[in-house]
Amino acid sequence: MSIAFKPDETFRGDYTYRNSDAAILRFPFPFPEDRYMYSVNMEPHNGSGPSDAFVHAFDVDEHYIAECRDRAITLERDPGRCQALPHMMMAQWDTLELLMESLSHDYPEHFALHKSGEGFGATWTWTNRPLGLEQRFTFGDAATLPCEPFEYITRQVQGDFAICDQRDNNLFLDAGMVTSQADWSLDFNVGMSFMEWHGPVPLAHQAGVFERALKYLLMVRLGQPVRRLNWTMTVNPRLDTSPETYPEWGPDRASLTPENIGRKLHLRVELQTLWRLPRSNALLFPIRCYLASLDELVRVPKWGKRLHRVLSTLPPQLAEYKGLTRYLPMAVAYLAQYDDGEALPVGTTADTDALAEPA
Amino acid sequence: MTIAASDIKSRPVYQPLSPEAAATRHWLVLEAAAQDADACRALVQAFAPVQPALQVWSVGPLTLDGLPVAVLADTAALAPQLAQAGPFRVSDRLYVQGTEPFIWSVAALAAAAGLAAEQVQLAHAGSLRRRVWCTHCHGFTEGVTTSTVPCAGCGRHLLVRDHFSRRHGAFMGVMVDAEAPGQRPAVQEVFP
Amino acid sequence: MIVSSLKLRVAAVDDIAPSLRHLRLEAADGAPLPPTGAGAHVLLSLPGAARTHRNAYSLTNPPGTRSGYDVIVRRVPASRGGSAAVHERLKVGDLLDAQTPGNLFAPVRGARHHLMIAGGIGITPFLSYLQDAGVRQTGATLHVCCRESEKDVFKPWLPDGADVRFHWDADGHRLDIAALLAAQPVGTHLYVCGPSDLNDAVIRAAEAAGWPASQVHTEHFGVASAGGSAFEAVLRKSGLRVRVGEDESLLEAIERAGVAAPCLCRGGACGVCVTPVLEGDPEHHDHYLSADEKAAGRLIMPCVSRARSPQLVLDL
Repeated sequence: MSIAFKPDETFRGDYTYRNSDAAILRFPFPFPEDRYMYSVNMEPHNGSGPSDAFVHAFDVDEHYIAECRDRAITLERDPGRCQALPHMMMAQWDTLELLMESLSHDYPEHFALHKSGEGFGATWTWTNRPLGLEQRFTFGDAATLPCEPFEYITRQVQGDFAICDQRDNNLFLDAGMVTSQADWSLDFNVGMSFMEWHGPVPLAHQAGVFERALKYLLMVRLGQPVRRLNWTMTVNPRLDTSPETYPEWGPDRASLTPENIGRKLHLRVELQTLWRLPRSNALLFPIRCYLASLDELVRVPKWGKRLHRVLSTLPPQLAEYKGLTRYLPMAVAYLAQYDDGEALPVGTTADTDALAEPA
Repeated sequence: MTIAASDIKSRPVYQPLSPEAAATRHWLVLEAAAQDADACRALVQAFAPVQPALQVWSVGPLTLDGLPVAVLADTAALAPQLAQAGPFRVSDRLYVQGTEPFIWSVAALAAAAGLAAEQVQLAHAGSLRRRVWCTHCHGFTEGVTTSTVPCAGCGRHLLVRDHFSRRHGAFMGVMVDAEAPGQRPAVQEVFP
Repeated sequence: MIVSSLKLRVAAVDDIAPSLRHLRLEAADGAPLPPTGAGAHVLLSLPGAARTHRNAYSLTNPPGTRSGYDVIVRRVPASRGGSAAVHERLKVGDLLDAQTPGNLFAPVRGARHHLMIAGGIGITPFLSYLQDAGVRQTGATLHVCCRESEKDVFKPWLPDGADVRFHWDADGHRLDIAALLAAQPVGTHLYVCGPSDLNDAVIRAAEAAGWPASQVHTEHFGVASAGGSAFEAVLRKSGLRVRVGEDESLLEAIERAGVAAPCLCRGGACGVCVTPVLEGDPEHHDHYLSADEKAAGRLIMPCVSRARSPQLVLDL
């Protein structure tokens, strides 16, 4: 299918990133109800969902080229954003295979994959038309690629990726490509167990959410991927909101005014999927980031009202953990004008095909 | 001093050292300056039963009433000492007691020697001082006893958090005044 | 690609020993199958005389194989049905339903050496280990305890150059487990797969020899599926009665009856499908209810749990 790529939009500096009308309508809005609380909100990732963003295994949208460029900039500045512990090479090849097969199957206009045979030692030819790449290599031989397989392929896919080694009834974050994270450090977390890397998340530990989530994840099966949504907010459409560069983007939190908050404050939604990998038995954890400004979101009337209600009832500990405290009252005040108090149906769908006029 | 409980699950919680009966060889590694008289007595009581298969190494001068101790001049002497004691087996156990920066430095050496985490017991004694990892420059600041500290690598003032990385053996430090430069909370001595 | 179950065709059957039958299974539509992994197994639905049996068998293929799956099935004298189905009824061309492969016995990738002990047919998962590129690079040793005659049966299945030692019950040839487990170097991981007596003996010996528990592994074919004995579910509010078959979950039976019960993860963890039980004894397989709730038996998670009693009455 054809995608109108916007290759030159930026996620730093002049921040020219914007969503087209179509991109707004397919946004993975995360709130089905007027109040938000943590839950084990996992469901099968099986080809359908509340918007087009959920349909493909790994979603490619109009921001694809621009996001790949932004990743390359981040990696140039900080190569430690991509790491894989030595025992993860089998999982790296599993990941490369899954991504190349899925993309070439779902977007044949943009990606193509040819294999000379099955198994390690076969010659693969990979074509990535949007990025203008053609690569011939031996599956299983990292020396035939410009860099290790995990880095090679994740440089060509939107969103962050973590690979968890599964051992001892536990998951360990033993590899990652992390350039669009909501404020966690790969270099600090690499090698941590499931409970360790979730250490700082408030409230959910007491509710037993993580114990149940871990048991569920350990049983994720080959061919049966699952997904969930996570969310936070970001000032400016900035992908690299890492703790490493916090001195760069942190001051933006204090730069909001009632005049600019509509276009500067973004809802940041992570579509997280989970895939069992066949040879390594590891768990691939893609974290796909979607950004939309308040002004873009309120053009879907249901979303503007719901967002107002969720933010105005958010528990303070959650607001603190998500870094929203400084500007939350201003955001709530801004959104109030779009909320007429009408009762809304449960569910996240836009419930409209046409957007309201821009503010 | 005892370590305060933390909401953060990555923060290690320590138990008193206790030799494992099924293990075939035991090494006890101590930071001398961290052990008071009570700690020494407790160690002798716990480890006397495995004395025939036990070696005790102390970084800094220490005597234990009832167990022979090999004294090492400094932490740098540990790596060659471990190398000589190897190659290690699955049935070996290592027990380490001291400040957190010390015990996690030893844990890193043990991991490099191939010992699994289950083969290494860690216990805290002495000062609560912390090794802090700077999220921004990835450098380490040693001997931190305060709630915020200037980073030894980049100079930014870091809030010392309870989020802990076993691989780095350090607590996370994050710039405390990025959003409002210069506005910093009062420095408090919290890890004496 | 998203695949939840497989339709396989029996491509080859051969008896490699009086009680051992090899099956080659390929996709019924000729498409590539999901790739195998070291230690993986496949759950086959085998047509029995009276009902369908679901049995799991280790895949012996080199990891990453997609052209077909190879399993070796032992004839069990007092077979409940699965083994008898394979040895007496299955023939080339037959179609079988299967789940996509699962893996509860994967090698530990960070190990410095893999030490394997197999008892008889328990050798099968290790055949895939020995063909795993990572395991070969790290280093592996396999000890096989079997009947003396069986060692020649298994030899053709072993890759060239693999370090394999055979043991059988005769003087000078028995495996001295204690001696093997003493003084193994750090980073060695131990895997045992065989009759439960052998598994238990090895695990006990490893513990006595000071092995960390996290370095000792045994295959559990465990209940990953929601099958079990059939029972009747009465949906009181809907006024419906539905028989829950052996091969389906309670939730699937409810859905089959036309009731759209709320659910989300379908894995016993999220809590969305929790349903009150009015009568009968639930058999809990979930990770959601507390110990007290499970003991009280007034709630059930239909996506994974079943019934101890012949009937369950649900407030649905």
